[in-house]
Amino acid sequence: MDILMKALYLLIFPGLLYCSVAGLLLAGIDRKVVARMQKRIGPPLLQPAYDFFKLLGKETIVPAAAARRTFLAAPVIGLVSLVVTAVLVPVFGFSAFGGVADVVVILYLLTIPAVAIIMGGAASGSPYAGVGISREMVTMMAYELPLVIVLLAVGKAAGDGGVTFSLSKIVEYQQANGPLITHWTMWPAALAMLLVIPAEIGSHPFDVAEAETEICEGALVEYSGAPLALFKLSSAIKLYIMTALFSCLFLSGWGTGIVAVDALILVAVCAVIMLICVSLVRAVCARLKVEILFRFYWRVVAVLAAISLILAWLVG
Amino acid sequence: MIQHLPILAIMTYFLGAFLTTLLGHNSKSVRWFLVMLASVASFVMMCLLIKPIFLDGGIIGYWMGGRAPEAGYAIGIGLEVDALSLFFGLLVTFTVLLSAVYSIKYISRDDAQDKYYTLFLMLAGGVLGLVLSGDLFNIFIMVEIMTFAAVALTAYRNWAEGSLESAFKYLAVGSIGSSMILAGTIMVYSQVHTLNLAQISALLAGQGLTNTTVFAFALLFIGFGVKAFIVPFHPIAADAYMTAPASISMVFSGMVNKAGVYGMIRLVYVVFQIMDVKSVNYLIVLLGTITMFIGVTSALNQHDFKRLLAFHSISQIGYVITAIGLATSLGIAGGLYHAMNHTLFKGLLFLCAGAVFYSAGTTDLDRLGGLAKRMPQTAAIFLVGAAAISGIPPFNGFASKWVIYQACYEAAAAASGFASIFYAVVTIVGLLVSVMTLASFVKVSQSVFFGQLPDEFDEVKEAPLLMRIPMWIMAACCLLAGLLPGPLSRFALQPAAAATLNIKGYIDTMMGGGYAASQMGDVTPVAELDFSTIGYWQPVAWLVLFVIIMAAVLIVALGSQGARGNKRSTELEKVDGKYATFFGGEHSTYSMVGGSDLFWGLRYNLRHYFGFLSDMHSGVVNDYALWAVTAAAGIILYMFLFL
Repeated sequence: MDILMKALYLLIFPGLLYCSVAGLLLAGIDRKVVARMQKRIGPPLLQPAYDFFKLLGKETIVPAAAARRTFLAAPVIGLVSLVVTAVLVPVFGFSAFGGVADVVVILYLLTIPAVAIIMGGAASGSPYAGVGISREMVTMMAYELPLVIVLLAVGKAAGDGGVTFSLSKIVEYQQANGPLITHWTMWPAALAMLLVIPAEIGSHPFDVAEAETEICEGALVEYSGAPLALFKLSSAIKLYIMTALFSCLFLSGWGTGIVAVDALILVAVCAVIMLICVSLVRAVCARLKVEILFRFYWRVVAVLAAISLILAWLVG
Repeated sequence: MIQHLPILAIMTYFLGAFLTTLLGHNSKSVRWFLVMLASVASFVMMCLLIKPIFLDGGIIGYWMGGRAPEAGYAIGIGLEVDALSLFFGLLVTFTVLLSAVYSIKYISRDDAQDKYYTLFLMLAGGVLGLVLSGDLFNIFIMVEIMTFAAVALTAYRNWAEGSLESAFKYLAVGSIGSSMILAGTIMVYSQVHTLNLAQISALLAGQGLTNTTVFAFALLFIGFGVKAFIVPFHPIAADAYMTAPASISMVFSGMVNKAGVYGMIRLVYVVFQIMDVKSVNYLIVLLGTITMFIGVTSALNQHDFKRLLAFHSISQIGYVITAIGLATSLGIAGGLYHAMNHTLFKGLLFLCAGAVFYSAGTTDLDRLGGLAKRMPQTAAIFLVGAAAISGIPPFNGFASKWVIYQACYEAAAAASGFASIFYAVVTIVGLLVSVMTLASFVKVSQSVFFGQLPDEFDEVKEAPLLMRIPMWIMAACCLLAGLLPGPLSRFALQPAAAATLNIKGYIDTMMGGGYAASQMGDVTPVAELDFSTIGYWQPVAWLVLFVIIMAAVLIVALGSQGARGNKRSTELEKVDGKYATFFGGEHSTYSMVGGSDLFWGLRYNLRHYFGFLSDMHSGVVNDYALWAVTAAAGIILYMFLFL
């Protein structure tokens, strides 16, 4: 029964089905809103879902230079790890695997989808993918430093005197003391986190790794058919996970207690966060160069997060 | 019987070494028989000790020649095996066994194989003797045997570029370390008039720290630091690991630097019991953090497979040292766990490098590429090792790094003021180093196993089965050690950490019951470890996860049969261009991204730092010796100022 429950968590809620629907919906909203901002009509709300099913039906081609098994396994590994991450992120008070849900786990699980893209790209043997994975890796090193500091800062602020790595403890602390966003010491960290999200999901000013106009989607250049569909789904789920993680870290602590209602509210909250840090930025900015991106994250965003960390240690 | 096993395990190696010289000169099969017999026998003997020591909590003391202490002084040479010694003893014998199996094929093309195996077994005996010894001077002798065997093995392929040079560097800087250990031993002897570790420990605790003992501690600490290759004693390791045969590089990173780590733990926790002193904690954690950061950033800059691995070895030892320096039971357990995992995954990666060298004849990242098509098993094993060292769940590196982060950040919460910020920064550096580790392994996988296959490597064959067997065993161990942290900690890590912290039994076993109490007063035993704060100790959840991932991979393996493509790639490519890789019209030979250029964005931003690093690793042995001496002076000064 326990195993069955866990399988249910992984496959339905808050796992595969729920996070796919939420992710694709968010991606649709994002595209629509950005289009409206740029005075275009934009695709229908469900366009990402249509794209996903369309790609599933297309032929899968493995290029001659590719390492076949790695090339095909990479998208699946990326998707599975994202689904697992989605299960670990609490939906307000509800947490499927409370004991395991830990910021260190989330941090490492979140690297796996990026690694999957990198491995898949590397296995495809294309030089465009070579450039793409190089940039993906540099981007990852760029945003990982501020992300780590943000997580540690939150871990301290929600530690109630000590420190905690556990997401459910962080949520409990916010239930008792109000959302962390209401603490002024956490504002720089929240801002840093908002800036980490677009880099993590690779949206426009920070999409050096995909850069369609430059290196033809980088690591994904050789992908087609179902594997590409899985990668597209993964990036949609990532959109959900990152925004949900933000809400868990900074906006948690309320909610109705009814899981179904909470889930809906969470998607709405995610959409708002996404509009602020992804859509708006995407609509108005041009793509950065990779070395500028790296400098920006280590010099500006990391410093923002570090301010919060130091404040958390000094004040809290 | 059981108390004879430690000395027998050591003697088996030495006896094997001598017999190999005598009998193994002409006959291949005699040589292999002797080496395999010695390594298997020692491993089995160590395994037989698991029950009395790990499970029953016993400690084995053994006086050579039956010379028990007289008139309260230990005059004989003693062996003492507690859980900590056994933990490292198991690592040593396991590494030696796998390396011996791997060597059979890997060394088969070299000449003077009898000398290789003689030195190999001497090295093994030296390290095993070191970790099982209960006598400070005996430890020095074993360090010398270990160092000289290691130096000679570094230069084993003396036709290879730089091997003699790196052996000379190892000799020069390694001797500095050995001399420090000898000098420290003399200082200790002048204070307590005994060389037995247990008795030293009891007497030193009784008399407290004097200037001489502080000096002795500093010297011994530096000596073992050199043997563990912490920064700034590390450049010799980078050279030695690169030029030694891969089977020896594996032994170096699997047990030779662990010998230094073991020496440090034994020294600071048991012999000097100095871990309550905060300034020592800070020094060790600081050295560990610098080691892990410099190690990984140097690795990012390398373009030789084995040299890159060597720098990662240094970096991972930094994690271990950091964790040990925290002086909490969680920290020690994490450090030991990571030491074990490092033996597994780094050994695995060195064996992969050896397989690539064996098959392709080079380890230059700028020349290799696309080998996954020719060596699929090696590539798969490499990915396991790379995932483990980068700390990707569910492999073992993740589990131990998690414990270390947790221990580190808890130390930050327990400390106050500046110290807590220091530990918080250490945690951040640790997490960052992990990402950089991942980055450099992405670089290796892209430039060795994936990417385009250069024409010169078109005929490369998969490594022979005898080389793949140890690799598969280690890969399986990497996964198991990651999935079963619960049993591991209960049966191995917890006893070892407890042995490190509760030294009363260690003293009484050698010196007779009540000796510790008579010299040190009452020692309160340290409580059992508590892992409840760590979510990883929930194996069922992880097992479910693992099963699901395997199921997904299986589905892909079955489902991908339908995918069109490269089964008959060359013919198809000629007929139909759509199966070729998309090169944008460029000829594929010219469009490869070399290993050195892969992280341009990072290298450009950190160019000053990387320039500083290259200047630092000048390759001149005088520089390295100068640093070693300067750092030694600095550490001694620090100890006198703050102890």
